[in-house]
Amino acid sequence: MDDRMRTWPLLEVVEHNPGLKSFYFETDSEVQPGQFIMLWLPGVDEKPFSVSDVDDGRLEVTVKAVGPFTRKLMECRPGERLGLRGPFGRPFAPAEGPPPLLVGGGCGVAPLRFLHRHLERRGLSSTFLVGVRTAADLMFREEYAGGLAMVVTDDGSLGERRLLPDKVGELLANQTYGTLCAAGPEVVLSTLKKLAESRGIPSELSYERHMKCAVGLCGECCLEDNGLRLCVEGPVLRHPLPR
Amino acid sequence: MANLATKVCGVTMDPPLVLASGILGVSAASMARVVRCGAGAVTMKSCSLEPRAGHKNPCVLPFEHGMLNAVGLSNPGVAGASKVIAEFRTLSRAPLIASIFAGSVQEFGRVAERIAEARPDIIEVNVSCPNVHSEFGAPFGGDFDATAAITRAVKDAAGAIPVAVKLTLQCPSIGRMAKVCEDSGADAITAINTVGPGMLLDLATRRPILSNGVGGLSGGAIFPLALRAVFEVRRHTGLPIIATGGIATGDQAAQMILAGASVVGIGTGVYTRGVTVFEEVARELGDWVDSTPERSLEALTGAAHG
Repeated sequence: MDDRMRTWPLLEVVEHNPGLKSFYFETDSEVQPGQFIMLWLPGVDEKPFSVSDVDDGRLEVTVKAVGPFTRKLMECRPGERLGLRGPFGRPFAPAEGPPPLLVGGGCGVAPLRFLHRHLERRGLSSTFLVGVRTAADLMFREEYAGGLAMVVTDDGSLGERRLLPDKVGELLANQTYGTLCAAGPEVVLSTLKKLAESRGIPSELSYERHMKCAVGLCGECCLEDNGLRLCVEGPVLRHPLPR
Repeated sequence: MANLATKVCGVTMDPPLVLASGILGVSAASMARVVRCGAGAVTMKSCSLEPRAGHKNPCVLPFEHGMLNAVGLSNPGVAGASKVIAEFRTLSRAPLIASIFAGSVQEFGRVAERIAEARPDIIEVNVSCPNVHSEFGAPFGGDFDATAAITRAVKDAAGAIPVAVKLTLQCPSIGRMAKVCEDSGADAITAINTVGPGMLLDLATRRPILSNGVGGLSGGAIFPLALRAVFEVRRHTGLPIIATGGIATGDQAAQMILAGASVVGIGTGVYTRGVTVFEEVARELGDWVDSTPERSLEALTGAAHG
């Protein structure tokens, strides 16, 4: 896998919940947590997706059906060939020192899961918190219900009934973390960024925008205030921001 | 280091390196960042009278020797583009070139009239996009009469704003085409647009990868073609030339200057060398100028024709 488009056979599909599946491909490339790939359904479209794990030469992408493309993707079966290019973008890079706090909100659980497992495989500890509206929205529910991560839900259907930023505030107040690494809705990220700033720790936040070229040329994913390209300088941005 | 500031149609570009159209030219913030990364001017993505969605993905494909793209002229329309110009003025003092395209001579005039109200420093006329063939037919830039008529219509509408016509290599003679533009009132020539269209297939599905099937070729693969085009344009006209086509190094920029370019546009080079390609090429170009007996960019412009 590289910047050029190539199709790869789909090795396996695992359904977590209705409309929530993981897709597995063979991969020969180095992918870092927080990076994304472009996934092409020939004849349909091509969209960006976070990688939810790479282990033993298998790349995992976890997708929730939200629109025409992702609904079409849900119909794909093992053996079908789908296009992949990537990986693209700046990955999570937690600072050395105290373990990081990893926070995944909604579909933002996917890249944080990869980071959590990546750190674990290297013998590095971290604290992992996931937050969703309701239990049915949680990716890898079976893993996290078993205690691999702290879980908060807006409605209390799984784990603690708390809003994600409130829980992060509590954790940051009670323990020292090296970095706050997070992905999720932008409104949540902006609160988390302020929480990290108030504690004087760096934050590594993964943002989402519509992406077309994924190689820093088309300008679709540029941030409105500073022009940074999320496909190159992001999707994970660290503060202070680069030029 | 040599003074690289260059005046084109009364507009000073320092360094003489321009962000080429279609690259990062969709928002004021992204263009302002390109200026912070060393560009002396920016060109916006081409705008049309009404907004356009463009083609579906995949629409940009890197390959071994360059890039293939068929974005399909997606743009917010001339009204949206005018807002971007106004916002860019609040962020940067660098010159801005507004690129326009249309489906007919009359429409070119209307888009030019509207965009002129937003006061870009130069209006660039895209008569040569190869990616909307199914909608608009062969590019106007392949036809002398059509290009002449469009140039006159845009000049009439642009008032005092200088007009550059962006040419395609795919015409009977790009040198003669440039002369036709000059005779029709053009103030500058931009050469060249992407080449093609070309195609890339996926072996497994046996289909074209681009959603549009075909797309314009850019990057290193077209540099020698672009250089020859600029050389020919210079032989046929005295107009200033904005050279685009596969330039990503100071050496390539220098070759374009010798062939007759006044300023050099960089597009795909943003991919191959990153967004700081502008400050890198400026440094390399400056080193080259310093190493010549002339030590002056102006004296070196067109020196390959001496």
